Amino acid sequence: MKAVFTFSLMTLRMLFRRRTLWGILLVILLALAGIASVPSFDISNQGRFVLDFGLFGIEVGALLLALGLAANLYPRDRETRTLMPLIAVPLSRWQYLLGRFFGAALVQAAALIVTCLGLMLILILHELPIPGDLLPATLLIIVEGWFLLSTVFFFSFFASPPLNWPLTTMLFVLSQMSVSEFVSILPSAPGLMRTVRLLLPHADVFHIKDPIAHGFNIEPVYFLIAIFYGLCYAAFMLSLALAVFRRRDLK
Amino acid sequence: MTDVHPLQVKELSKRFPRKRGLGSVKAVSNISFNVRQGEIVGFIGHNGAGKTTTIKCLLGLLKPSEGSISLWGNAPADTSVRKRIGYIPESPDYDDSFTPMEYLSMFASMRDLSGFNKDWMKLLKRVGLTKWETTGLRQFSKGMKQRMSLAIALQSNPDLLIMDEPTGGLDPVARKEFRDIIIEENSRGTSVFLSSHILSDVETICDRAVILAGGKLVIEGTLKELLGGENLYRMTVISRKTGEEVEETIPEADLQSRIDSLRRDNLPIVKLEMALKSLEDVFLSVTEGKEQ
Repeated sequence: MKAVFTFSLMTLRMLFRRRTLWGILLVILLALAGIASVPSFDISNQGRFVLDFGLFGIEVGALLLALGLAANLYPRDRETRTLMPLIAVPLSRWQYLLGRFFGAALVQAAALIVTCLGLMLILILHELPIPGDLLPATLLIIVEGWFLLSTVFFFSFFASPPLNWPLTTMLFVLSQMSVSEFVSILPSAPGLMRTVRLLLPHADVFHIKDPIAHGFNIEPVYFLIAIFYGLCYAAFMLSLALAVFRRRDLK
Repeated sequence: MTDVHPLQVKELSKRFPRKRGLGSVKAVSNISFNVRQGEIVGFIGHNGAGKTTTIKCLLGLLKPSEGSISLWGNAPADTSVRKRIGYIPESPDYDDSFTPMEYLSMFASMRDLSGFNKDWMKLLKRVGLTKWETTGLRQFSKGMKQRMSLAIALQSNPDLLIMDEPTGGLDPVARKEFRDIIIEENSRGTSVFLSSHILSDVETICDRAVILAGGKLVIEGTLKELLGGENLYRMTVISRKTGEEVEETIPEADLQSRIDSLRRDNLPIVKLEMALKSLEDVFLSVTEGKEQ
């Protein structure tokens, strides 16, 4: 595991030195600041409005970060041939995949924590209350981000970066749908659509922005189950990615 | 007891699927050779002869379609044998946001080379990168990147060095330094598998050569065997088409028939001399018409 750890650190350093991370982070923070400056219809609900849209903004930020950080990692490594000396000698393919994933996951988590702190700062500046579940809610978005990251890695082994973006975004959108919404896409085959929906990821488990915005308490066990589900799905997507990568000839 | 060679390739073939339509293209076809302990083996061929494909198969980057490869009796995917290899890729590139020092220490850590931190300066000095230890790799020229890849390959004191065109982009001085390092490494027992277009390099440092053409092995042997075979003659004749002088290298066995055909065509022989055979002559004569 030492090789994976070192390679993760190498990936982390590399991603911190790229402008992509800082660009996406700036866009998310500006969007959060923009949300806070939009007045809600009912001034008494301003806090709920900022929280609801703020957490949604962070969630979209998780998607952007996953794509921005990882969609180009493997294709670029192949194109610039930096992959060859790595895979040829010190690393196995699974070590390469895990190293790149953990490095990107740490950078993504750090960036999402910064956006959460940004949202807190915005709430403080607007003299709005900060709910106690904001940090756990961000933790769930981080786990969702890791699931998205693993999806981006999976697609990156057989799709180019311009194709990876719509594929991952499509999965992100589908994974947010409820069963009834999903069945309504093809109402003539409800059984099939229910089964497909069951197999697709359920990213809706990570969304607790509405209960938080409305001041409901969330049981700690819910957080634990949602985190466990997210990590299992990310591990599943990484296993699929590895299965594809192992079959790849590195010409 | 059978000798376990550092590298044994048996009936290796590699096919790639065609981009459009069915079928496949055979890049390497049924080649077999060994690299013995302490030997420097040159791997020669035209562009597209299958050298890089073979090397990528040796390192597990490509999966052979047929045949087998063993490194000290184990499969290339085995991590214990991969630790014993140093690899220099063709046109190496590295993430340009790092410095050589950072890259070397990360590779050392990934290879679990404890104690390397004491040696990295010595290694950079050996490959001529001392002044550039903290310079970003984005500022490195092709030749400097090749020196960097040599440093990475030598870092673990490998038992087998696999080099794919290592001196391609280097100036003559750097090429000489590269050759000296290869000889030094070999003198401490390292086996070397060197793919190169620069036949003079192969001739200078290799014990044996394996020649590929059109994905097939055409000849293999010690340099003594390859160069000491049939005599060659260099003949200058007048071209029938252009009327200009043309030089030809002809094996002794074909000499009489060539002279007869020139006589029949009434073409004069301007000069005829015995050629000192070089690896280039051998290469050209054995690969003639077999490029595709």
